[in-house]
Amino acid sequence: MTFTKIAASAAAAIALLAAPVMAQDKPVVGLVMKSLANEFFQNMMEGAEAHAAQRGDYELRAVGMQNETDFESQINAVENFITQGVDAIVIAPADSKAMVRPIKKAIAAGITVVNFDVALDADAKAQQGLELAFVGPDNRGGAKMAGDALAEALGAGGKVVIIEGNPSADNATQRRLGFEDAVAEHSLDLLDSRTAHWETEEANQVFSTMLTAHPDLQGVMAANDSMAIGVVKALENAGRSDIIVVGFDAIPAVLPMIEDGRMLASVDQFGQQMAANAIDLALEVVAGGPELEGWVTTPIELVTK
Amino acid sequence: MASPTTATPKLAALRSLINNAGIGLALLFLIVIFSFSSEYFLTANNITNILTQITINLILAVGMTFVILIGGIDLSVGSVMAFAAVVAGKAITLPGFGDTELILLACVAGLGVGMICGLLNGVISAYWGLPSFIITLGMLNIARGAGLQVSNAETIYAFPLAFEEFGSMLIGGVPVVFIVALVMTLIAWFVLNRTVFGRLLYGIGNNEEAVRLAGHPVFWYKVIAFSISGLAAGFAAIIYMARLNIASPIAGIGFELNAIAAVIIGGTSLAGGRGSVIGTLLGAFIIGVLANGLILMGLSDFLRQMITGVVIIVAVILDHYRAKYSAS
Repeated sequence: MTFTKIAASAAAAIALLAAPVMAQDKPVVGLVMKSLANEFFQNMMEGAEAHAAQRGDYELRAVGMQNETDFESQINAVENFITQGVDAIVIAPADSKAMVRPIKKAIAAGITVVNFDVALDADAKAQQGLELAFVGPDNRGGAKMAGDALAEALGAGGKVVIIEGNPSADNATQRRLGFEDAVAEHSLDLLDSRTAHWETEEANQVFSTMLTAHPDLQGVMAANDSMAIGVVKALENAGRSDIIVVGFDAIPAVLPMIEDGRMLASVDQFGQQMAANAIDLALEVVAGGPELEGWVTTPIELVTK
Repeated sequence: MASPTTATPKLAALRSLINNAGIGLALLFLIVIFSFSSEYFLTANNITNILTQITINLILAVGMTFVILIGGIDLSVGSVMAFAAVVAGKAITLPGFGDTELILLACVAGLGVGMICGLLNGVISAYWGLPSFIITLGMLNIARGAGLQVSNAETIYAFPLAFEEFGSMLIGGVPVVFIVALVMTLIAWFVLNRTVFGRLLYGIGNNEEAVRLAGHPVFWYKVIAFSISGLAAGFAAIIYMARLNIASPIAGIGFELNAIAAVIIGGTSLAGGRGSVIGTLLGAFIIGVLANGLILMGLSDFLRQMITGVVIIVAVILDHYRAKYSAS
């Protein structure tokens, strides 16, 4: 009860704030992000804010979540944007199934919706009769690029392990599948695959133990760089410089590691521009451009020395 | 429940020995099972790994023991650890200082932040007599938010070499960071068992009113217990940074639950007044050995999580009977 009240008053407050903006007749874009506790989304948010200031012909309203799986507040955010009557909603869904219904509601209310970063679940979309394009990077393809780089360094038969992200997250699944594609294509020997929930300390612990179980290990694929840092540290402690590590995201902390060879490669998704690009696409549709269709892929790049 | 504070130290020591013997046997049991199921389990390298892996949880759990003994709980330690790490990380990457100064500065900053958070937990919950569950839940959010705010959600890295070396240094195969944690455990044991302050903490857990009527400043004892837990989180932050060479604002999510589990598996009663820090040490070992051994056995992540949960519940059921027998 109290929560509904708080949500209602928050919505009212936002609506009041939004009122003068509407009067200026600039299109309003609601940006719904995932966890701003994640460096990646923090960067993305900053990129979007810089973009809004630079273009100056639209009003940006950005909302972030407390954590990666907080889809409850994403649903509230979408509903608040519907109430405010924004022109476009640009959303990185926290859950690829749970967000389908609220997004359908927004479209029914005449709002242009662009789904970026994480694709909505195809089955859930079909079930709800929703057709919506996806703007985002190919996580699976990116992970395969990293895996390919590792495979080329090791040669066929190389013994590798995967450190996975959160088991229920779509991008974690895509990256794992991408690594597995590389394993299959280059006939690598996959010894073990475990989650460390995107986190450095856990990756450090889990990987140290995997290394004990598989001392003949030759390569590691980590689904994000935070976990790759934990792996690199475990290798240093074990005195092993013969094992090759690849990561994902290309965060600043790993760039020195790639430079001095402690890591072979990471994958840059240009997160900073990702939200900005999605907003550009949304504004084109708002201005009367054609609807987006299928999968609009955004650039990814393998970062090596 | 009635474990009287007036019991002679010898009797109390005997009782704690018997209690800990049970947990020790459980640990031994796990070690035997894993030794048979994985050829790597008892190797020198793996033992070093396990000691490294339990260090942070042990430090947090030792601090947590003080709070649980007075009948409280501290849910904020994981977040406070991250906040302390981020502040210490900012300090240690300041330009224009020598390595020694930077390391000292980082330690002071990290421990200071930890202790202040703990102090606030204690003062607020003790002054207004509020449940520490709620106050430290609030602090969990405050510290997490503060850590993200200070670091702008970015991972801080590039620390002085000497600091990194400390984090991975071994003496005879034993990680120095673990030795630090062990020394802290022994100091905590001494404080709890051989000082009036320590005995009174047990007293507060058993019968707060009696301790108050005896003229002791219960308020301050509670504040100190929470401050110790915060300080331990600060220590854990420094160890985290030295081990991993980064300070991440999203470190330590859920660490409070592992610390509480170590304390409870170690036989300390959630109701307060009964338990020991040696039990906590064994509890931390059980959790660490379990995590390590199950991976070596090749068990899937999900099964591993389930088994850890089962062990916690079994430990509490055993504790229930132990409490019954020691009361009769």
